[in-house]
Amino acid sequence: MNPRSIRFRLTTWYAGLLLIVALAFAAYTYKRLDSYLTQEMEQSLSNRVFKISDTLVANIPKTGEEYVAREIKARYAPELNERFIRVIRPDSSILYVSGIPSDNNFDPGEVPIRSGLTAGHATHEEVVKNGARLLVVSKPALAGQERYMVEVGASESVIKDVLNRFVIALAMGLPVFVGIATFGGYLLVRWALDPVQKITGAAQEITLHHLDKRLPAIRTGDEIEKLSNTLNQMISRLDRSYQMSSRFTADASHELRTPLTIMRGELEMLLLEKKLPEGVVEMLSSLFEETARLSKIVEGLLAISRLDTGEARMNRVKFDLSELAATTASQMCLLAEDKKIKMTYDTGTPAEVLGDPSKMKQVLVNLLDNAIKYTPDGGAIHLSVNALNGRALMEVSDTGPGIPEAALRHVFERFYRTDEVRSRDIEGTGLGLSIVQSICNAHGATITAENRKSGGCSFAVEMSLATHT
Amino acid sequence: MNSGMRILLVEDEDKVARFVTLGLKAERFAVDRAGDGKTGLELAMASPYDLLIVDLMLPGLSGTELISKVRNKNTEVPIIVLTARDAVDDKVKNFEAGADDYLTKPFAFAELLIRIKALLRRGPVNRSNIIRVGDLEIERLTHQVKRNNVAVKLTSKEYGLLEYLAVNAGRVVSRTMIIEHVWDQSFEGFTNIVDVYIRQLRAKIDDPFKRKLIHTMRSVGYSLSDGEVK
Repeated sequence: MNPRSIRFRLTTWYAGLLLIVALAFAAYTYKRLDSYLTQEMEQSLSNRVFKISDTLVANIPKTGEEYVAREIKARYAPELNERFIRVIRPDSSILYVSGIPSDNNFDPGEVPIRSGLTAGHATHEEVVKNGARLLVVSKPALAGQERYMVEVGASESVIKDVLNRFVIALAMGLPVFVGIATFGGYLLVRWALDPVQKITGAAQEITLHHLDKRLPAIRTGDEIEKLSNTLNQMISRLDRSYQMSSRFTADASHELRTPLTIMRGELEMLLLEKKLPEGVVEMLSSLFEETARLSKIVEGLLAISRLDTGEARMNRVKFDLSELAATTASQMCLLAEDKKIKMTYDTGTPAEVLGDPSKMKQVLVNLLDNAIKYTPDGGAIHLSVNALNGRALMEVSDTGPGIPEAALRHVFERFYRTDEVRSRDIEGTGLGLSIVQSICNAHGATITAENRKSGGCSFAVEMSLATHT
Repeated sequence: MNSGMRILLVEDEDKVARFVTLGLKAERFAVDRAGDGKTGLELAMASPYDLLIVDLMLPGLSGTELISKVRNKNTEVPIIVLTARDAVDDKVKNFEAGADDYLTKPFAFAELLIRIKALLRRGPVNRSNIIRVGDLEIERLTHQVKRNNVAVKLTSKEYGLLEYLAVNAGRVVSRTMIIEHVWDQSFEGFTNIVDVYIRQLRAKIDDPFKRKLIHTMRSVGYSLSDGEVK
């Protein structure tokens, strides 16, 4: 699953939040349970303290101290019930203290005698034996004029036991419930996002191939309907501007070509005339050449405009860029030989790409033609195609004069020509590299120009291999 | 030699029609012109033309419709399409409708003329296995070339070019036609290749001999012939 998809992120956040809330709730319950159990214990201890002081200690003047000790033992069996019971005489000596409880949790003999606790009913905690906590409730009890002290306590470990069991139950149950809830949440998110996925698929299909189509109407009245309506409006606007731009190129090509056709044709007719004076023939020939050049420029501009608006029909097929490069180079090597330029090519690595082979061939032709034009006689041109890390890399390098550093970023601009090229009067429309760039853009390929350290420049085209698109 | 040949030109641009008519008449073709698709269709149906030149963007009836209607009745007449549109599927559509050749505006009149001549004489194209032009002999099955009985070694592209010239011996073929036939594709910046190959071919076939067979024609094309080419 894609970790950046909304589905995944939403589910993760939901699970995280759920876990935090569940933990907080568990902590709250734990605290409440703890204080409830403590209160309960205190209550029952208090009851006992009152009972002992009211029914036994208060009667000491009648029954004597011996009776009290015996009765406590008989009635409450503190050792068996794991309770601590102590009765202290007014002179702080012990009248009665319970024995070691059956669970051996504390030693009643270790519980300190507090002298200042004679004021009234109080609860306090005593720590005895290895940190075991004892909750003790004490109360002064009057026997005639004498003030006795009655203390009843119990180990808090009882409470701790319950709490521990509660924690264990939570630790086992929580993950299961959070897991179930997360899965449910995932299904819910998927259900909610399903229409989005469908819309995405349909929109992709439309933008790629049929701008005249629209997304299926969704009448749910919710956000999804709004989204699909908005997308449809956007596609309509795209469609309109696409149609406008393609009508523009169609109109422009007609409007520009017709006068050019007439100029060229009429000039040709004039040149057929045998009786023209010498100078006039020369001028007419020059006019004819310029018209031809203008035609080429118009063709180039129209080609670029068609490529840039995405109007140029691309015949997308899988083909081997290496093979195309090898054939094109072998077709053009004679042009290089004509200038005594050595053209070598290294196209042994197959590089299957997705694109329009005739357009990519144009790229190769323009790059090689350029290299041949600018490399002086006796130079060398090297063409290579490689496949690396899912990318196809095509490079054309030459031993020409290179490109002035300042001009490097401009070479792909329309009609950009360096002063040097202008002065050398190299023939061309100034559009060759712009066409190359437009074709590359239309293929999702990048083209870069750089000067080589050893002299000359190199143009590199990089695009995805067919298996990686 | 073109006298008696009748051509129908269906073109709505007056000025284009004017120079094409002028040029064709200078070549002694008889030319009728129709300014819209309907008139064009009526004329094409009424009289037997030897060739039709049809512009695509026509008022009334489109060029493509005209072509397919004419083709339904007359399967023989060669049709050349003239158009300012050059999209590949436009070409395909019109070839399917029945066009024989296709020229994109702006075109060179000389190119149009060469193509007209090629289409009008398409019938008796040299189909024999051995073509002889003067003392040049081309064996089409084995790709062997001899001049003055001495074998000449050619690369396969050079041979392809020579064969194309030889099949059309005595006629002019344009650079674009050569590229279309010998290289299958046409590219800006590619046409120079033809000149280079012609030079190579001349070095092997013509340079050692006094009598030249390959002729350059009015900067539009080349011709292979033993003697003058008109």
